[in-house]
Amino acid sequence: MGRMGTTTPPRTLAEALRARDDESLAGLLRARPDLLSPVPGDITQLATRAGTRASVVRALEHLDRFALQTAEALAVAPDPAPYGTLLGLLTGDGQDDGEQLEDAGAAITEALPGALGTLREQALVWGDDDRLRLVRTARELLSPSPQHPSPTGLGPTVAEATAGMSPGRLQEILTAAGLPATHDPVSAVTALTALFTDRTRMGELLDTAPMEALAVLDRLVWGPPYGEVTPNPTPPVKWLRDRGLLLPVSTRTVVLPREAALHLRAGRAHRVPEPRPPVVAAVAERDPQAVDSAAAGQAFLAVSTVEELLKLWNGGGPVVLRAGGLSVRELRKTATALDVQEPVAAFWVELAYAAGLLASDGEADERYAPTPAYDEWLERSAQERWVALATAWLTATRTSGLVGGQDAKGRALSALGPDLDRSAAPEVRHRVLALLGALPAGTAPDPETVLARLRWERPLRGTAAGDGMDLRSRIALWTLNESELLGITGRGALASQTRALLTGGPAEAAGLLAPLLPEPLDHVLLQADLTAVAPGPLERPLAEMLGALADIESKGGATVYRFTPGSVRRALDAGQTAADLHAFLATHSRTPVPQPLSYLIDDVARRHGHLRIGAASSYVRCDDEAVLGEILADKRSAALRLRRIAPTVLAALADPASLLDGLREMGYAPAAESADGDVLITRAGAHRTPPRSAPAPVPEGPPVPDTTLLGAAVRAIRAGDNAATVVKAQPDAGPAVPPGTLPRTTPAETLVTVQAAAMTGSTVWIGYVNAEGAASQRVIAPVRVEGGFVTAYDHTADEVRTYPLHRITGVAELAE
Amino acid sequence: MSGPLIVQSDKTLLLEVDHEQADACRRAIAPFAELERAPEHIHTYRLTPLGLWNARAAGHDAEQVVDALVTYSRYPVPHALLVDIAETMDRYGRLTLSKHPVHGLVLTTTDRPVLEEILRSKKVQPLVGARIDPDTVAVHPSERGQVKQTLLKLGWPAEDLAGYVDGEAHPIELDEDGWALRPYQQQAVDGFWHGGSGVVVLPCGAGKTLVGAGAMAQAKATTLILVTNTVSARQWKHELVKRTSLTEEEIGEYSGTRKEIRPVTIATYQVLTTRRKGVYPHLELFDSRDWGLVIYDEVHLLPAPVFKFTADLQARRRLGLTATLVREDGRESDVFSLIGPKRFDAPWKEIEAQGYIAPADCVEVRVNLTDSERLAYATAEAEEKYRFCATTATKRKVTEALVRKHKGEQTLVIGQYIDQLDELGEHLDAPVIKGETSNAQREKLFEAFRQGELNVLVVSKVANFSIDLPEATVAIQVSGTFGSRQEEAQRLGRVLRPKADGHEARFYSVVARDTIDQDFAAHRQRFLAEQGYAYRIVDADELLSES
Repeated sequence: MGRMGTTTPPRTLAEALRARDDESLAGLLRARPDLLSPVPGDITQLATRAGTRASVVRALEHLDRFALQTAEALAVAPDPAPYGTLLGLLTGDGQDDGEQLEDAGAAITEALPGALGTLREQALVWGDDDRLRLVRTARELLSPSPQHPSPTGLGPTVAEATAGMSPGRLQEILTAAGLPATHDPVSAVTALTALFTDRTRMGELLDTAPMEALAVLDRLVWGPPYGEVTPNPTPPVKWLRDRGLLLPVSTRTVVLPREAALHLRAGRAHRVPEPRPPVVAAVAERDPQAVDSAAAGQAFLAVSTVEELLKLWNGGGPVVLRAGGLSVRELRKTATALDVQEPVAAFWVELAYAAGLLASDGEADERYAPTPAYDEWLERSAQERWVALATAWLTATRTSGLVGGQDAKGRALSALGPDLDRSAAPEVRHRVLALLGALPAGTAPDPETVLARLRWERPLRGTAAGDGMDLRSRIALWTLNESELLGITGRGALASQTRALLTGGPAEAAGLLAPLLPEPLDHVLLQADLTAVAPGPLERPLAEMLGALADIESKGGATVYRFTPGSVRRALDAGQTAADLHAFLATHSRTPVPQPLSYLIDDVARRHGHLRIGAASSYVRCDDEAVLGEILADKRSAALRLRRIAPTVLAALADPASLLDGLREMGYAPAAESADGDVLITRAGAHRTPPRSAPAPVPEGPPVPDTTLLGAAVRAIRAGDNAATVVKAQPDAGPAVPPGTLPRTTPAETLVTVQAAAMTGSTVWIGYVNAEGAASQRVIAPVRVEGGFVTAYDHTADEVRTYPLHRITGVAELAE
Repeated sequence: MSGPLIVQSDKTLLLEVDHEQADACRRAIAPFAELERAPEHIHTYRLTPLGLWNARAAGHDAEQVVDALVTYSRYPVPHALLVDIAETMDRYGRLTLSKHPVHGLVLTTTDRPVLEEILRSKKVQPLVGARIDPDTVAVHPSERGQVKQTLLKLGWPAEDLAGYVDGEAHPIELDEDGWALRPYQQQAVDGFWHGGSGVVVLPCGAGKTLVGAGAMAQAKATTLILVTNTVSARQWKHELVKRTSLTEEEIGEYSGTRKEIRPVTIATYQVLTTRRKGVYPHLELFDSRDWGLVIYDEVHLLPAPVFKFTADLQARRRLGLTATLVREDGRESDVFSLIGPKRFDAPWKEIEAQGYIAPADCVEVRVNLTDSERLAYATAEAEEKYRFCATTATKRKVTEALVRKHKGEQTLVIGQYIDQLDELGEHLDAPVIKGETSNAQREKLFEAFRQGELNVLVVSKVANFSIDLPEATVAIQVSGTFGSRQEEAQRLGRVLRPKADGHEARFYSVVARDTIDQDFAAHRQRFLAEQGYAYRIVDADELLSES
């Protein structure tokens, strides 16, 4: 802050900012990029924007736990506060029973300048060390109020809590606390504050307290500092209340003033200050090489699983749900096909989607299918394919861990469906991997400590969730699981190929991974029990051919295939001949082809194609083979597309009627025959519609209503009647509202009237214009008026409804 | 390339047998993995919870299992699988069955929530008694088997430390005069004895009876032997008298015709499961003496009522003997939980390699049906189809040709349908043994066959089990019980007893081509093919033209 060249301390945040150099301002904007949109016009505007609630909340959410604790401590310190006071609030005044460890104090002393630096950089704190000021918005956010208990668990100060207290009551407190009487409320408060902050005198005062009173204080000291009291409190509470150690907030609530609580806490704002980030503990030290090869094994599995999944969907995958995504049934089917649990299947599906390998085809009946990028991906080497998947995973905001859960509205979240994006995911993933990367190679961390560390780094987001785990922790856990599935980690520890991917880049990672992946093999072992075992991954053409020729029985590092008559037939259907298959097996088998296998192929081939199937629309049958030969030879028969399939039978692609006509034109006299071979006798054609049902009779008049409908109708009539005929009270003797017109009052009157009605529980009559502009009148009993809405029981509709105040044209009280 | 083992994510282990470390690897994984298939190049093992728990029971821990897999694996072992192994093995031993000096049999836990969980199960509640303390609950001694079986199904197997009763002592010694237990038989006896109870799996003809005798000599106590039928009972008796110090008088037969209860009693499953007025009157045999050992022959055929009763025998040592632990009813796990885990298992081919069973040439003869037979087959009722194609006249001709081809060799013709067998017997001029043949007549014919006075014998499925025909070298199967794998194994076993001249045995299966018969044959052969018996397939026409 040497820019101004003076030692005059800044008086406002704007001045403090103005005093900062460019680099430091750039630091602020980097840390709080929201201040940049739009770019502020000047420093004053910047300071104003940095003080807005939304921006401050965002900045606070990005603080680590100790910086946040520092800010919280400042929020309960006097404004401005000197450095010493702040330090004291964090370390305590050393007066407690030694529970506070000395090195914790040392750690705080060491960490505080850093934390303060962060707060200053982010323009949350400004001023010199002897006049530290927390920006007002942050102070409001962090300091205690009855609605938002402070994270520190401290209550308001004596001065705040006694504001509005009668001077007489203050006098009584002073007397009870043994302080000299004064008529001036301000000096009375000062005297009381001085007593509470004085260690010795306060200690003496508490020594006289009954044991039960100390127990009450014990319950309140670490917060929340509020307690309920009855109009006739118990003696210990009364003792405390008399001496101002509990001050009234409302008729039934009391609060422990901040100064008193701090005394009881030995000056500490937090029960457990956490100056140091929790250490990520190791559960196991593994051989880094074993880790890499385990991860590589998993990486290979990942690549093959994605390939298998997309092969499964090759000919058109599952249908896209109307709301988007994959149905639960389809996911289950996919999981079964991949032989994994459903959440894992969801992960693979989402991974392929994130990597751009699968998408919806956008057809009328939308289905999922592999993208053209998939075909390119297939062409690449295994290590490059893995790098493509891993890179996509690292930056994806889609989180498959959510699949199967429900969104805020209770709708099921489906794989590939909407609402799976969580913007925090890539950042959390990177943090988790960075934490893993910071450990020595081969070290598998304890997930709990990873989560603790993440919670320390972003405490505000972490404390929000009441039920179970917060989102960041869940993402972190998913990250750890998914890392294992994807081969990012091996047996829990970060693999060196992943380190390379994070720091070096894709090429380096692929280079490290390549030698760890199994070499594709060009042979299999054939066995007499009609199985073939591929003791490793196969070269692609070999794998494809074998996949057609045999059924896969077991997958993993090796593949076990089983030959069955069905599988051999499949290969023959695909255009292979028995000789092809024999040659193929002989080439790729290390051992002689077992006799039962060759026999199986020959046996299936012998029968394959024995029966021939074709399509024909009609046929010509004639016992005289010469006639049929004649017809075939005739050029005019070409249009009928005849084919001789037996000496006495011609098959035709033309339908029977055209065939008859065509042959007649050629001068023959054919007769049509039925399916049983009888000659059909031609009659005048009879035209029929497709099956139709007889028309339903139309009764006279409307249908008879059922009881439900009747009941509803009666209710509506009665309520409308009620609304139209009630005599409206006219408090201001204004012009009488003619029956049937909407009441009109000013918005202010409307508000007052409905609020009053909500208080007294009475019923009012309102005019209301709905979203379509239709006006109606309703009789309602307001329950609540807040945020521009009236929640009321609507007699007209017989249910509780919410009406925006601005749509209410007017309101009138009902005369009884 | 290193490591003979490939660990698949579906929990199968593939062992490459030609690898130099294959033997070491086999020894390392045998304690916890079940051998599923043993064809020529790659053997398949499977990891099952039961196998892992049995390994725990035998004193192996998860670290050893993981270590064995990681050491011998060619590729990185899937992490999820290792975690799963550790978790599965960790479930064993949380519950213990033991004897309490005051409360008798008790179930204790080291992990209270597990006890709470299982006590909430409706299946466990009726089996346990009073809660003695938060970690202990009493169990009625008669429910010991039921409790163990139920807990196993719930996934919390109990470690049984309650021990065995010794039973009534009775001196039994092996009479090793001019013969000795083969090494694998000795291993099987030792494996059983150390484990307390369990099942020994040995191929047919590998001398399971001697394993039983060896176990009796270890127990030196009164023994109840359960066998499939009377002929088998006689053979056990004959064998025991010959191989042990037991005399005829010490061995009783408890069957349909005789009801003797002696220190060693041999009973048939049939008599035990005879039901009168809704009760099994002969089950009290189990309680008639203080048996020190119960032997179940052909345990894969154990009938359901005996299962139920076996549950109450948990304090007695139990030995199950079988050639194929394939139960067509899929109740293998009940055998494991009630009789005991598999204590010894040797691949057929391994024993063949040691020369204790004869090598066999298995041939499937495919018979073409004649045109008229094919038409008749196509129009046959669904339930008649198998019977029809299995008994065609063409098959008879092929069978005759085969018998002619092996003239002078001891030949068995085995079939399912009596009409077919009678017809064959007539054409081959050979006696037929079927259900109605009296035991005396059967034994007479067997003896004649054994002596070589008879060359060809036609037998129905009554002879499937435990008949001892030492010199049968050729078996021709013409029809069977549909797709029964264990029947196929039993029938092959008929010819596997080592031949005096080291002759190769032949096993023919005559099958009608392109019919359901062929499908059943494929299913029947699967077990043997997985044991490494490769079936050659020949066309009947070739065979007929040869002869």
